[in-house]
Amino acid sequence: MRKKVKAPRRKGHWLVNLILGIICVVWFIPTLGLLISSVRPAADILQTGWWTVIPHRQWETVSQIKLDRDTDLRKPIEVNGQSFPDDQLKAGVEVGDQRLIWENRRARTVDVQEKKWGSSTNFTLQNYETVLGGKEYKITQPDGTVQTEQGSGMGRSFWNTIAVVVPSTVIPIFIASFAAYAFAWLKFKGRKAFFIVVIALLVVPLQVALIPILRDYTALGLNGTYFGIWMAHTAFGLPLITYFMYNSISQLPKDLFESAFMDGASNFTIFSKLILPLSVPALASICIFQFLWVWNDYLVSLIFLGSQPEVQVLSMSIANLVGSRGSDWHLLTAAAFVSMLTPLAVFFALQKYFVRGLLGGSVKG
Amino acid sequence: MKRKWKKNGSMTLMMVLLFSVVMSACSGNSGTTNSSQTGTEGTGTPAATTTSGADLIKTAKVPAGSELEKALNGEYKGKKVTMYGPFVDADEQKFNASIKAFEEATGIDIAYEGSKEFEATVNVRVNGGNAPDIADFPQPGLLEGFVKSGKVIDVASFMPADYLKQQYKESWLDMAQMAGPENKDITAGVWARSSVKSLVWYNKKAFDEAGYTVPKTWDEMMKLTEQIAADGDPAWSVGIESGAATGWPATDWLEDIMLRTTTPENYDKWVKGELPFTDPIVKNAVTKMSDIWFNKDYVYGGRSSIVTTNFGDAVKPLFTDPPKAWLHRQAGFIVSFFPEGLPADQYDWFPFPSIDAKYGTPALISGDIYAMFNDRPEVRAVMEFFTTAESLQSWIKSGGVTPPMNGTPDDWFANDQERRMSEFVQTADTIRFDGSDLMPGSVGAGTFWKGMTDYVSGTANLDEAMQEIQSGWKK
Repeated sequence: MRKKVKAPRRKGHWLVNLILGIICVVWFIPTLGLLISSVRPAADILQTGWWTVIPHRQWETVSQIKLDRDTDLRKPIEVNGQSFPDDQLKAGVEVGDQRLIWENRRARTVDVQEKKWGSSTNFTLQNYETVLGGKEYKITQPDGTVQTEQGSGMGRSFWNTIAVVVPSTVIPIFIASFAAYAFAWLKFKGRKAFFIVVIALLVVPLQVALIPILRDYTALGLNGTYFGIWMAHTAFGLPLITYFMYNSISQLPKDLFESAFMDGASNFTIFSKLILPLSVPALASICIFQFLWVWNDYLVSLIFLGSQPEVQVLSMSIANLVGSRGSDWHLLTAAAFVSMLTPLAVFFALQKYFVRGLLGGSVKG
Repeated sequence: MKRKWKKNGSMTLMMVLLFSVVMSACSGNSGTTNSSQTGTEGTGTPAATTTSGADLIKTAKVPAGSELEKALNGEYKGKKVTMYGPFVDADEQKFNASIKAFEEATGIDIAYEGSKEFEATVNVRVNGGNAPDIADFPQPGLLEGFVKSGKVIDVASFMPADYLKQQYKESWLDMAQMAGPENKDITAGVWARSSVKSLVWYNKKAFDEAGYTVPKTWDEMMKLTEQIAADGDPAWSVGIESGAATGWPATDWLEDIMLRTTTPENYDKWVKGELPFTDPIVKNAVTKMSDIWFNKDYVYGGRSSIVTTNFGDAVKPLFTDPPKAWLHRQAGFIVSFFPEGLPADQYDWFPFPSIDAKYGTPALISGDIYAMFNDRPEVRAVMEFFTTAESLQSWIKSGGVTPPMNGTPDDWFANDQERRMSEFVQTADTIRFDGSDLMPGSVGAGTFWKGMTDYVSGTANLDEAMQEIQSGWKK
């Protein structure tokens, strides 16, 4: 009997694991590529793919043949008694287990190559140093002297981002939890109507609100201030968080509140002593969502906060790293990893609650 | 179960540790940054005290009673002027270095804000009532919309015409004329930095060693191309990849060839949309371009690599040893993509040669126009300052910019190549602004880029590509 029950479950597990495995690989490979690229010199990235750091068989030059300098390149070219058209020599032509390819057409030298095991192992931490410490700019001053100016690293924009993200995560979750409790358990007039309005707001794209809000902010003098962006993120995040918290709070057993109420607990006591501890898993997971959203946000900061160095957030300083004409693209890989660390730390720190919440439900069943 | 928890715990611990290490590295670095910044400021201050307001502006006769004169006398001390523009990173540093002396002399704080998304966000800012005092437009086409809706202050309303004529050549002033509300032309802004585009770069050292000579005409250039091909190398290195803007270097080539194969009047008509892309004149110019681009012996990597090569990387084969390619047509800013530490005597440029002697050797240029959105006395003073070469002094000396205004002393230029660029613009028979920057966005930053890319990659033939580009005008 026991065996019979277990068998299908295991099969299900196998399928779930396979799908999870595939998803993991699909996400992991580009991330790995990004990580490897971030420690390779820019010139190497241009020449070869990141996967060449894995040992593989590649063509390596074993000898060179010098042709006559007057060889006409537009006619078939004779190398070692065989003649090849120029195109073949450009792309490389295989003769036996050797390959012939131009080394230098102008000097008329041809490489003879053989396949050998090898890998590109040229690594550098230069990208990270530049990203964290700032770039160096050589600027000629009016008096003719050249000064090296150190650009600001990510330190400042990191703290700016923290100053934006923490309140922008805490404020909406705080408000939304109260609202969710009210929508779930308090009886008041127009409760359904209000709730529908909140749900409806989920489908309003925030882009349509940018210019009207910007006008109001200009009138109130909130542009480019932290308070302004906290309010913007709070407003844009509230509908989803309220809905999410409503789902979790409304699932809590009704008896709990009734007995608490009979014991004389006020709504606030019920909320702080019962609801909050019971909905920690939900709080933790929405916290991760909101944190990631604000951390990665570019548009809202771009519009309401701007890129003055005193307030510039990480996503913007990273975008500016590439320079006016995008010449420093290789820094983006390192910058992406540095900016990823905080969300990862937050995720792993809160994940414990997240998993416990899921398990808690399943055990009780 | 328990083991799993432990694993998670150690993972968290590891992440936190890793994170704190990075953060301490961060803060350590920002510490050194601060100290080095104060260091440069420290050395900068004594020089600044010697620059009194009166002798800061030497290249221009500042009109008596102007806001600039008042500012230099310290009347606007402590005022703040906000500025918004597209240059970030190194350009931003050079800009800030150039305005430092002015800020110190007048006490006006020019708060510059640079964004990579300038084109997209300036609309939101202005329409949201949060316009900067001064905005820097690299594409005059974009500014035209704001002028039309009456948001931009006419700079001629406070700068005397004589003064503007003294500071700029006629052609620059003409290009700043834009139709305001009720179709009355206003001077929409002042030109603050420019770049010459009709330049062909080459590796001077290798070029001289190989015994090649600088071509004066298109035919000579084609002969040189053929000679280099026979010697075993492709002559040209071309790359037009530039992310969402892929294709723009191709539009520059076409504009340059247009100027050399037809009259300036036809060019102006073409830019305004009166001469369609499907016209034989335009097609002829495109064909001239394809003579080089589509010949696999003439282009490094062949036709197929043009679309996939980044425009900034395209110049690099010129400076390998031995060079893999020999010629590269690009604007003056490309020097910032040259290998680091390349001495100035190892590279040089020649003007993109004349095709038909009738049309000479015109100069294709691009430039940034600074427009003013808020009319306050200190903003006027800053705008007046931007008409002087002093506002670009550090930038000119560091290289990579050609001053559009008159009166830059020769010894300001970083090297001879930069000085000759400025001379080339000042003496060229015809000067025309980059056409794609003047056309409406749907063409100039839309179908024009895309159509040229499709043509070069081979997904569209000449007729299809020209029709595709032309369709942008209907939008």
